[in-house]
Amino acid sequence: MLLREVEYAKPASVADALGVLAQNDGARALAGGQTLINVMKARAASPDVLVDLNGLDELKGIELAGDGTLTIGAMTTYTELMASAEAKARPILGEVVSTIADVQVRNRGTIGGNVCASDPTNHLPPLMAAIGARFTIAGANGEREVGADEFFLGVYMTAVGVGELLTKITIPAGKHDGFAAVTLGVDGTCIANAAASLDGSLRIALGCVDAVPVVLEPASADEAAVREAVRGAALDPPSDVHATAEYRTHLAEVLAVRAARQAQER
Amino acid sequence: MTPTGSSTTIAPERTEIQAPAKQWQGQNVPRKEDKRLTQGQGVFVDDVKRHGMGYIHFVRSPYAHAHITSIDVSKAEKLKGVYGTLTGEEVASLTDPFFQLSSPPGAHVKDYALAVGKVRYVGEPIVAVVAETRELARDASELVEVEYEPLEAIVDARVALDESKPVIHEDAGSNLMWEGVFEWGSWDDAVAEADKVVKISELHFHRFNSTPLECDGAVVEYNRGVGQWTLYTNNQFPGFAQIMMGPAMRCGLDKLRFVTQDIGGAFGNKITSHPQLTVCCLLARKLNRAVNWTEWRTDFHMSMSHGNERWFLDTEVAVKNDGTLLGFRTKALDDAGAYLRYEPLGGVIWAQVTPGMYKWRNIRLEFTQIASNKAPCSPNRGYSRMQHLWFTERMIDIVAKELDLDPIEIRKRNYVKHEDMPYETPNGCIYDSGDYAKMLDVALDLIGWDQLAAKKAEAQSRGKLFGIGIGSTLDSGTNNFGQSRMINPELQFSGNNEVATVKLDIFGEIVVTLGTTPQGQGHETTAAQVVADILNCGVDDVHVRSGHDSYWNSHAGFSGTYASQFAVTGLSAVKGATEMLREQIFRLAGAVFGGVPAEALELADGGIRIKENPDAFLPFMACGAIINANNAGLPEDLDVTLNCRYVYRPPFEVPDIERKFGNLTLTYAAQIHAAAVEIDPETGHYEIVDYAAVDDCGIRIHPQIVEGQVMGATAHALGGVMHEVFEYDEEGNLLTPNFYDYHVPHALDMPPLKTGSIESPSPFTPLGTKGMGEGGGAGIHAVCSAIQDALRSKGGAIVCDSSNPYRRVWEMLESPETAGARVQVVDA
Amino acid sequence: MSDHPITVTVNGVEYERQVEARKLLIHFVRDDLDLTGSHIGCDTGNCGACSMIVNGTLVKSCMMLAVQADGATVETVEGLADGEELTPLQKSFSEHHALQCGYCTPGMLMSATALLRENPSPSEDEIKKALQGNLCRCTGYWNIFEAVKAVAR
Repeated sequence: MLLREVEYAKPASVADALGVLAQNDGARALAGGQTLINVMKARAASPDVLVDLNGLDELKGIELAGDGTLTIGAMTTYTELMASAEAKARPILGEVVSTIADVQVRNRGTIGGNVCASDPTNHLPPLMAAIGARFTIAGANGEREVGADEFFLGVYMTAVGVGELLTKITIPAGKHDGFAAVTLGVDGTCIANAAASLDGSLRIALGCVDAVPVVLEPASADEAAVREAVRGAALDPPSDVHATAEYRTHLAEVLAVRAARQAQER
Repeated sequence: MTPTGSSTTIAPERTEIQAPAKQWQGQNVPRKEDKRLTQGQGVFVDDVKRHGMGYIHFVRSPYAHAHITSIDVSKAEKLKGVYGTLTGEEVASLTDPFFQLSSPPGAHVKDYALAVGKVRYVGEPIVAVVAETRELARDASELVEVEYEPLEAIVDARVALDESKPVIHEDAGSNLMWEGVFEWGSWDDAVAEADKVVKISELHFHRFNSTPLECDGAVVEYNRGVGQWTLYTNNQFPGFAQIMMGPAMRCGLDKLRFVTQDIGGAFGNKITSHPQLTVCCLLARKLNRAVNWTEWRTDFHMSMSHGNERWFLDTEVAVKNDGTLLGFRTKALDDAGAYLRYEPLGGVIWAQVTPGMYKWRNIRLEFTQIASNKAPCSPNRGYSRMQHLWFTERMIDIVAKELDLDPIEIRKRNYVKHEDMPYETPNGCIYDSGDYAKMLDVALDLIGWDQLAAKKAEAQSRGKLFGIGIGSTLDSGTNNFGQSRMINPELQFSGNNEVATVKLDIFGEIVVTLGTTPQGQGHETTAAQVVADILNCGVDDVHVRSGHDSYWNSHAGFSGTYASQFAVTGLSAVKGATEMLREQIFRLAGAVFGGVPAEALELADGGIRIKENPDAFLPFMACGAIINANNAGLPEDLDVTLNCRYVYRPPFEVPDIERKFGNLTLTYAAQIHAAAVEIDPETGHYEIVDYAAVDDCGIRIHPQIVEGQVMGATAHALGGVMHEVFEYDEEGNLLTPNFYDYHVPHALDMPPLKTGSIESPSPFTPLGTKGMGEGGGAGIHAVCSAIQDALRSKGGAIVCDSSNPYRRVWEMLESPETAGARVQVVDA
Repeated sequence: MSDHPITVTVNGVEYERQVEARKLLIHFVRDDLDLTGSHIGCDTGNCGACSMIVNGTLVKSCMMLAVQADGATVETVEGLADGEELTPLQKSFSEHHALQCGYCTPGMLMSATALLRENPSPSEDEIKKALQGNLCRCTGYWNIFEAVKAVAR
């Protein structure tokens, strides 16, 4: 509760938003606010200006192209994604998103806000990395698109720089996906998670074991190969109150196997 | 033993009046509280607002242990909108240290409302800042400059007494706060009779609390003209706060008026807010304006009322081969945290349930309480007994496993028997009534014990480990405060009391005032049930005032809502006061009817009438009007006020301090819980898949409320055993300061629950009721028991900790021998 | 820092106020509008005691700025009952003893109300899922599930 003083801007367009963000190094985009406002309550962050992206229809909406490619506006809420007929083209998206936090948070929290927070305990970073999502970032000099490996740079750090905005996320067609997690209680704070996607070859992304998702490409999708890939990654996860590094490393392997199995079974 | 009561007014001789049959007691009448609470019309402390009110924000210590070398509030005070500040230095000059309950060395601890010279835990309040808005107060608090000289922090009780470690309270000489030896029967005799001695080197009960959804808070105003403070606060034991604050603030207790309406849960955690309330009082006086203190969640986690963390070291259990338990001895090492706010009472409270539900007669327990650089401990639902009952149940299950005995059989063999009630424990407590074996049967039936093998097989077919466990506990209620003398013979406390007033107002309205501070227990409703039965009227005809106000003059020294007692103390006071009122109504009517004797009268239809002549009817409205507003001509000797105050005083003796012997609580409600768990052997992740809770709290006035308490206590226990822990790092930083990391159960976490009950009336209480609500942490014990059972087939680890997050279960799966090494069986 | 003028309709009443950008919606409703039915139980957006329906959507009002509610329609617990007539859900909470201290109840009622508007016949699993964001420390939730079930069609 009780934020530091902050200014508030409500731009009428993405262009306006970029303008405000460019004018002030201390400006920060406010998406759903389900992370940022809490960080501000703790006074762990105190931007000078909040640039409210709510209401910018340009950043909303989910489109499904003929080739199965999904384009998700950054300001799409979790609830909107869960309800979207288009998003069902990649079923894992709705399934995982439905386990994030709770109804209220899903009603207001956004897909873009989630990935921009780059919280290592969140589900979307590894999922996006596994399914090959690409991120469109707009700035004064136009748009650029990056993959997950370039997008997630560190804890609470992404490729979205000062004066820039994430506008949309593009997800290729696919359905052989899997996801597994161990959380505190049912769908609580995540201890470890793993996403897998099979598209000819298997790609696994591990969460909670490093600042950014750890992406692995096992030689094959069978259990032994998956285990070998995880062991070969020489994980060095953090220890905290919920898990020792050893336990996290162990969970990463078990969850990778489970996610891979689910991906294969689809 | 028979219950007695006393009245502070001169009671006239009682006339025996035929009580009407119980009509309301035992029924689930709609709760009177619900109408306002379902509409957002409750008045919780933070809803109170006063003209010109300032908001308090505390500057808190970032260090667990440090000298304060300087404090500069000048920048904060200059910020526009800031009304003022209060520092530890000012507190030390304006107040005396809070009275310490402990005998030396804990008695020497100097505890002030703000840190003075030193900080002793992360989150300790150092400076209070008051400003025009909440936000500004926090802004200003960031401008307060404090310099520290950090010291080594003590976070592990097991090293607190090492000579190499720093001393937290220099005045106490060491980190030892209190110690005492409790010994009853003879350990040597127990060993002589035993076949085996089971040794358990270390068990640990972890630190957590009930985290009421509403944190602490207050709005305090000072009336300069009369030198009196009014504290709108959610403190749940105002009488205790008053006796802590009055001497410290050098004022009479009546200068501290406590007011509360609705409290958003408390569970014991809201007993020890007196330091913060003292700050509020000093600031209200200093700044001459009302002040608000809102405690936020992170503040609460860092600083308020953690449950006692306790180690049980070098435990030995004497047992016969057939499972007969003869005795145990152990060293209990209790971590009180940085200050003794209610401690070291936990050093004796456990003794209310010394043998648990069992018949062992030879017990020795060395209790040592130390200070650490963690938040101060204070009561938490199941206070101090829960730790001991967990220990008791762990001993039972470990002995059962080591001697290959059936955990059900060993319990039944050793439970105190129904036919032995009332039962005197080795330390002189009287278990009033109960049938534990029968309760266990009900629990086993509810959880489907007979289909156990099939359930196990079915879980195994899904790759899961299935286990089932029992938790048998007692909820001792209505304290004999004389037990406090066992920790400090100088203390002048004993017995217990509670007050109610019942009056008939001018228009015949029945108005009840309680001394309690309910937090969801439905006191307004159950009090009305008792009154309505006695006055033969409807519960809707009875108005029970909401909340507590020390100006109502309806409280006594021990008034409050804590320690499972309302159904005994509160309702007995209500009963006493209502019976006084009834008797007065009879005498008044007798006089009005021209000398009709009481036997010829009866209560009916909201009034009193002559049995043989029902037309001679005096409605309550007429009674109230006559006494209050139309009393000319009444007989001179008619001593009737229709405003009756009754103090219920339970039948207690002062315990024998030397032998630590005596009846410490009046009633013993019982709980037997059974839990079934399924563990994922690859991850240690587990779920509670089935659960049964059986309760016996004597006569139930409102069974639905009783069941609600059982459910709530169960949820607390399940959260406590699975996820909730106040864990600190080596520097003394709390790692679980919010609900992200301190995971309390939510809707999806709840297992299926079956409840059952039996009613064993207490022979010692006026209504046959027993105190209940706290439970004894049965869910913690049952889940520990179930985990150990599930692990039998995979390494057979022993559960040695009350906190069992997935990581610990995984560790038990990975290296069962680590925990196993703590247990050893030797021939006696 | 400048104040922002906002117009918010709460339970059918329009309010015009000046607010600092940093003020959370929950503080605005409780402290500025004196509608104290919605509560605060945490400072991390976990507990749901501050749940409100904003423009038809259930949100936690501690994770939204008051200035963001400019032009919005807000529903809080105070707006549920029609005068003295409680909603079936409010009655059901009482009948099933789905509240003890009552502190979480306003938020819980808003979540359950939002659920029943969207899905008048929720299954037990759907009820649990819908209430996951509202912590209750008194009841263990079981009676809350029963209360909602009883009014589900």
